[in-house]
Amino acid sequence: MAENIGGDNGDEVRILAFLCNWCSYAGADLAGVSRFQYPTNVLDVRVMCTGTISPYFVIKAFQEGMDGVLIAGCHIGDCHYLKGNYMTAKRFGVLREALKFLGLEEGRLRLEWVSAAEGEKYAEVIRSFTEEVKALGPSPLRKRAKAGVEA
Amino acid sequence: MSDLKSIVREKLRDGADAFLCLKNEEGTVLPALITDADSPDLELVEVGDSRYPLGKILIDLLREYPDKRFAVLVRGCDERALVELSKLEQVDLERLVLVGVACSAEEAAACGCLRPYPSDIALGEKVEAAPGREVIDEVESLSDAERMAWWREQFSRCIKCYGCRNICPMCFCKDCALEEPHLVEPGVIPPDFPSFHIIRALDMTGRCIDCGLCEEACPAGIPLRSLYRKMQDIMEDKLEYRAGESAEERSPLSFLGSEQDIEKLEE
Ligand code: FES
Repeated sequence: MAENIGGDNGDEVRILAFLCNWCSYAGADLAGVSRFQYPTNVLDVRVMCTGTISPYFVIKAFQEGMDGVLIAGCHIGDCHYLKGNYMTAKRFGVLREALKFLGLEEGRLRLEWVSAAEGEKYAEVIRSFTEEVKALGPSPLRKRAKAGVEA
Repeated sequence: MSDLKSIVREKLRDGADAFLCLKNEEGTVLPALITDADSPDLELVEVGDSRYPLGKILIDLLREYPDKRFAVLVRGCDERALVELSKLEQVDLERLVLVGVACSAEEAAACGCLRPYPSDIALGEKVEAAPGREVIDEVESLSDAERMAWWREQFSRCIKCYGCRNICPMCFCKDCALEEPHLVEPGVIPPDFPSFHIIRALDMTGRCIDCGLCEEACPAGIPLRSLYRKMQDIMEDKLEYRAGESAEERSPLSFLGSEQDIEKLEE
């Protein structure tokens, strides 16, 4: 799967998911062991808390050609470090608006709270986000897409 | 109304160790630091219509001379910058004496900031102005794809001179993300769209005091100010904060805050 994500996989959309170690990562694991079906075009990055995710990481992901970026962390009030996800909520609320002003569709950046017990919710989030990003198509920031326009 | 020269003398007499303002040397306007009343520079000081981010010089001066007090000439924007810089622990307002200048009606109209005057006005008459929103309105009337094409076109003129950052009164970091090779590839002009510009816009969020020097400095005429203005609108709308307004209230992006703030945000 990894080479699909990085390489040329045609029409498939590529999604990068930042998952908090304490909740959503375990939620993803639970979704797996429970055999819930969800799309596989997601590359995940485990972080110790969503509060550690710099907006630069998201910018970099889009710059590298990701079509959608998901950030999934502990519910407000449940952050392992108590308030880390407050920063997440603030930062990415602002970043989404900024990207929108520059013309990147809002739907390409999503923030979700998924606990370790919510395997089903995790699968559902991945399904609906993948659908949404698919409907938007490849990101206009993909290098290839750009070259296509210019050619 | 007293003139600048006598104000400088008065502040030096009243305990300021130096006065920072602008001087006009045969038509060239540049910063002047007057340390005594006999300084020949005193004959050259003027308010004029030039602007300069004097706060940037103050950051260094305050560090270099930890036991000195400085008086400084400030317009509305300079004052907002100092207020914000003090919350970011870059200047110590206690060691500063602000001498306020209100921008003239022409200056205010040409600039169009929210508050073209400082809280205390020693020179000039206060006039109100209305920020221009034409660019923001134009951009917002476009579809996503059109907006991206519009900005792509604007930013394609960028020659990565870093003028916007260098002139910015709010930029003081020693390590700048715009020089981080993983984010901004060295030697590539124009820089990657929109990374370079969104990084700057994000770093200006909750910080930009809308002086407009970036746009004035930009040799490519990129409407940077409108981008940063929009970021402040987002900040106000989402997190109820506007940079430079209160000396106590800090940017919500600079501390974790409380659960209530997040509930409000998610509504
Ligand atoms: S520990 Fe999960 S979001 Fe902070």
